[in-house]
Amino acid sequence: MNGDRAGQSRDRQGAVSRLVVGRNVRKVDGVKLVTGGAAFTDDVHIPGMLHGKILPSPHAHARIRRIDTSKAKALAGVHAVLTYKDVPRVPHTTAGQAWPEPSPHDTYLLDSKVRFVGDRVAAVAAESRAIAERALKLIEVEYEILPAVLDMEQAMAAGAPVIHDEPDSTKIYDRQRNIAGYILREIGSVEQGFAEADHIFERQYRTQRQQHCPIEPHVTICWLDADARLVIRTSTQVPYHCRRQVAMILQIPVSRVHVVKPRIGGGFGGKQEMLLEDICGALALASRRPVKIEYTREEEFYMARSRHPQILRMKMGVKRDGTVVASQLTVLATTGAYGSHSTTVQGNTGSKVLPLYRAAHMRFECHVVYTNAPVAGAFRGYGCPQGFFAQETLVDEIACELGMDPMDFHRNNVIRLGDTDLLSAQLGEGKEGLPRLVRSCGLPQCMESAARAIGWTQKRKSLPNGHSHLRRGVGMACTMQGSGIAGVDWASAFLKMNEDGSFFLQVGASDVGAGADTVLSQIAAETLGVTLDKVIITSGDTDITPFDVGAYASSTTIISGGAVKKAAARVRSQVLELASKMLDAPVDQLDCANNEIFTTCACRKSVSMTDLAMQAMYKEKLQIMDGASHFNTDSPPPFCATFAEVEVDTETGQVRVVHLATAVDPGTAINPMQAEGQVEGAVAQGLGYALTEELLLDAAGRPVNPNFLDYKMFGAQDMPKLTTILVETDEPLGPYGAKSISEVPINGPAPAIANAIFHAVGVRIRKLPIRPEDVLRALHAERPANLEEELLTQ
Amino acid sequence: MFDKVEAFYRPANVREALRLLQSGKGQARVVAGGTDVVVEGDDSVRYLIDITHAGLSYIRRRGTASVIGATTTMAELEASDAMQALAGGLLSRAARWCGSALVRNLATLGGNMANGSPAADMATPLLVLDASVVMVNARSRHKLPLAEYLAGARTKRHARSLLVEVVVPEPPNGKGCRWSFQKLGRTAVDISLVNVAAGLQLDSRGRVKWARIALGAVAPAPMRASGAEQRMKGRILDQALLAEIGAEVAREVSPISDARASAEYRREISSVLTRRALEECSAHVGCSL
Repeated sequence: MNGDRAGQSRDRQGAVSRLVVGRNVRKVDGVKLVTGGAAFTDDVHIPGMLHGKILPSPHAHARIRRIDTSKAKALAGVHAVLTYKDVPRVPHTTAGQAWPEPSPHDTYLLDSKVRFVGDRVAAVAAESRAIAERALKLIEVEYEILPAVLDMEQAMAAGAPVIHDEPDSTKIYDRQRNIAGYILREIGSVEQGFAEADHIFERQYRTQRQQHCPIEPHVTICWLDADARLVIRTSTQVPYHCRRQVAMILQIPVSRVHVVKPRIGGGFGGKQEMLLEDICGALALASRRPVKIEYTREEEFYMARSRHPQILRMKMGVKRDGTVVASQLTVLATTGAYGSHSTTVQGNTGSKVLPLYRAAHMRFECHVVYTNAPVAGAFRGYGCPQGFFAQETLVDEIACELGMDPMDFHRNNVIRLGDTDLLSAQLGEGKEGLPRLVRSCGLPQCMESAARAIGWTQKRKSLPNGHSHLRRGVGMACTMQGSGIAGVDWASAFLKMNEDGSFFLQVGASDVGAGADTVLSQIAAETLGVTLDKVIITSGDTDITPFDVGAYASSTTIISGGAVKKAAARVRSQVLELASKMLDAPVDQLDCANNEIFTTCACRKSVSMTDLAMQAMYKEKLQIMDGASHFNTDSPPPFCATFAEVEVDTETGQVRVVHLATAVDPGTAINPMQAEGQVEGAVAQGLGYALTEELLLDAAGRPVNPNFLDYKMFGAQDMPKLTTILVETDEPLGPYGAKSISEVPINGPAPAIANAIFHAVGVRIRKLPIRPEDVLRALHAERPANLEEELLTQ
Repeated sequence: MFDKVEAFYRPANVREALRLLQSGKGQARVVAGGTDVVVEGDDSVRYLIDITHAGLSYIRRRGTASVIGATTTMAELEASDAMQALAGGLLSRAARWCGSALVRNLATLGGNMANGSPAADMATPLLVLDASVVMVNARSRHKLPLAEYLAGARTKRHARSLLVEVVVPEPPNGKGCRWSFQKLGRTAVDISLVNVAAGLQLDSRGRVKWARIALGAVAPAPMRASGAEQRMKGRILDQALLAEIGAEVAREVSPISDARASAEYRREISSVLTRRALEECSAHVGCSL
């Protein structure tokens, strides 16, 4: 920031243009990340540290009849071996959610029953990983193998094995039928709506199990500090929830637990979970030694979390002119063996998806069932990628059937400024929610700009396809998300001034790599009138920083940022009060910018932040400091338009994405460069979701492809040309007008690509991922073999 | 991974490597680039013998043949002038498809063969070129056809031997000779779902004089489509013949279903890629289809 005071410009309304917010400042943690500083959980070595390993269940469903750890315990170098016999039995959820967590409390630190391949059987802490692995092999386990259910469509059937037959689990909707959660909400009357409709369309869609694949797998180091308090250094998005949950599970006071969140190598929702912290803490307490547990890549695939697979039945009723009158989404989802985020993810599939259209009648029904499969959980998009895949491909189909340009169909029907989404009022975080009022909406501009980037109008009409086996097409999708959970998510921030005019900013918010520390520092600097280098941020340390629910639900910028802005405004008042005394000028004639407080009247008096700080501390004996808490009763939606151009090889079924244009309305982009980075990252994961990524299980529930040779993410060479457009709006509920950005762009690629494939070759793919052989099979079904030959001889 | 490894050797010559292999009593593993051996991480291995310093990194002419040392990397094959000139650069082009740039800097031609994967990217072009491998053991040095070697690469047959070089005889050359390599993966860096290499020599009247078609990832080992090759001899390459060859190849392959693709899909893609390979060859020789 090199602007001086005179460099500050004012527009006609007299508003000061921003000096830090809205600027592409460098990430405040960038240098240590790119230079390999000791930044991440695993970058430290605690003297005497042991390696923890978990014995995973080889069976999808079994009872432990007998378990003998004596040989493992006798092995030299082994310091602790734990089974269900050694630990407290506390039903809980691993979902890192605000108390009381809406997810079923159906999980135990260790249990006498295992419910999926990879479930915890026992845990060991030893002096090396090799010794720990050897010890696992010495644990003798006698299993009573139980029948397993892996197919979600079989889970509710009479006679299906009951996965949670233990009596002490709570919040399970219907354990006898393996139903973790059930949701039914209706606005208006869909029956009436469908009766009023001229056309009714109904289709079924399927989505797969996708894994987060963070570059840093889950890793936790636990030790007892000099005061015998349990320190947990861990890769988490939710340090405060983690502290509360670990204290409860290990039955020690919250005050005896200290959670430290260092830099995180990607979370994407997989770390909105108390996953290794409990067992690692238990091993540290049992061995009285520091213990580290780090998942291998293979373990990360099936012992961490994944996206809920769903079967979606989407029904829409429209008038002859294309006006949507009723929409209904019926979902069957599986949460795997435990109900982490089960009802909340699926709730989003309804509440964030259906209200995109202004239908008077909406109905959402969902069963979330247990299966003996790896556990699903939070994953960027949180239920929306599934729902939007169904809704946006059905809408494209309707538009095409009615002979409408899908753009026009969207223009006529999508939610707009001033609308209230009533479904959200009925469907909150595991309970009634709050209505959503659209106070900012850049969706029309998002559509127009992304359409222009892809060349929509011209390419919809004619593409140079000819007789080639390579055929091009363009498709689009519109999506939205939320910004924090209304009435649930809250955050706090604390600021104190140093002698040199700098400020310590302490936030419970968790930068998981998305750049929260930078954005929050920018908000503080802007509000305080200082340059970014004068803000030193500490985040995600439960001993030092005040409470924050954590990094999820696209909440950090709007909620934690709101807390920072409030705290900074209070500190700014204290600064101005003292400046008023020093400059002999009334507070309302003072302003601050670029580390200076100055009068706004003609007299042009000023004092530097440093001089003011010295005055405060050594003359006034005053620590300038304050904190604030913040929450919202609404969750302003960010909007997104995704346009794709694809090339389909009609002989191999391969789909190559040629160009993907994404336009997002994030409110104000506090840091546009980081915002674009979030869009591109989301798009890369969205492309994998659309085309290549799927964690497969065999008939016994074992993972088939838990490695990057067999599970294919999009790599740099696979990425299409990307156009990323930020359509900024001013959100009244957000700090400096900000909403959110990191989730919404993941929703669009799958439907936009499916729609582009239809435009290119005329087949509808309703199952993810869209594999070449599925496309080829659909092409064969569409075009019988004799016709193929005819074409060949032409 | 490799928790039982007690020693890592880097012999300076083949004789030393063989001695170490012998004394490893079946618990030694030869390693070069490590791109397969490390991924596999076989826990029964106690000794690793790194042969990248054993003098096996070379590309030479020997008489009319080209000889490629076992530890020659994919990147070296890609960049070599001699390889770019041989058979229309078939080996260079195939090497370029093998893994990522980082993998190609490490992965070696010998390793690609010795690993014995049915999907090995370099096996099909080498089969098309009638290549042989030279195996050395304590007692002898002998040459055997690549196809024969590949059939036993995953057995214990060669456990006490070292693959030291690949010999490519002088391929047909002249105006009527063309070559193609086709690969289908799920992403840019992927194991082949199917790969096909083809070589074609046409006589002055445009009839097929010599043909080779090899396919990878569609049988227990990389294979020649001999039936299809036979059918082509002496015939003009037109659409009808292409369709016939495609159908014949689909009959000859015996693919499996796995997490990457189904057998049916692999079978169909075998035809498509074969046709594309032959089309590429014919386009080069200027014959119109």
